[in-house]
Amino acid sequence: MNDPTTGTTSTSAARQSGDGALEAREKQEVVQEGTRPGLVFRPDIDIVERKDGYVIYADLPGVDEESVDVRLEKGVLTLDAQLATLPEPGWQPLHAEYRLGSYHREFRVSDEIDASGVTAKMRNGVLELHLPRSAEQQPRSIPVQTG
Amino acid sequence: MARYSVLRPRAAQTWGGPWDELRREMEAVLDRYGAPLPTAPRGVFPAVNLYESEDAYILTAELPGVEPDDIDVSIEGTTVTLRGERRIEFADEQASLHRRERQAGVFRRSFELPVAIEADKAEAVHRNGVLILRLPKTP
Repeated sequence: MNDPTTGTTSTSAARQSGDGALEAREKQEVVQEGTRPGLVFRPDIDIVERKDGYVIYADLPGVDEESVDVRLEKGVLTLDAQLATLPEPGWQPLHAEYRLGSYHREFRVSDEIDASGVTAKMRNGVLELHLPRSAEQQPRSIPVQTG
Repeated sequence: MARYSVLRPRAAQTWGGPWDELRREMEAVLDRYGAPLPTAPRGVFPAVNLYESEDAYILTAELPGVEPDDIDVSIEGTTVTLRGERRIEFADEQASLHRRERQAGVFRRSFELPVAIEADKAEAVHRNGVLILRLPKTP
């Protein structure tokens, strides 16, 4: 077969080498009634809880710091992002395994988050969101005194 | 046979020839046995798109969170190989993971191009987590 993207068997070698081999997953579309044109995907995320709060990592390939919008309103954190890295107009598609579109995801956050302290940064298409606990919610150790 | 044929990008109406036939055959088989299509089809990582411009082939791959140093692109004749590792590390050992959807691991994928390219003039850029590999055609 003369398809330019015919894979070789080399990938199975990587897969056999351990649990570390990656598999491609199709991007999940956001199901919503909307008036916005184009596809909207639900990005993959990790949520990590630390002593001082939460960190959310979201995979947003093609998005830069200018094209991402994060809002926290009424206890709902909304993430919207548009693609900044797009195919050039003169490129004719020959073969497509992934689709292009914007990203959207919402999170309900608890009252313990200090809304004014939320910070975000983008690096290599990954958004890192820091949601600090408000000061009074920080875990404290209470010393026990002898009577 | 390439495994990523199970990926079914719905928007990709650009497939032609053997790919289209293969897809139709697969759909026919699935219809016959009434098997539901998987909600998240899996394939070889990374998924790639291929474009053609006047003077080059352009291969793009979504590799968010992969450091440029962790991506290795090699060209041998008409074979292009992408290799690398996606690492996900959390600095804080005290941290507990509430949700884990992002994957880490190694990848390796090769492509056979139909025509010779100018390997010396090939360029790779990694921008916003997207690898863009420009493979100039021989004049």
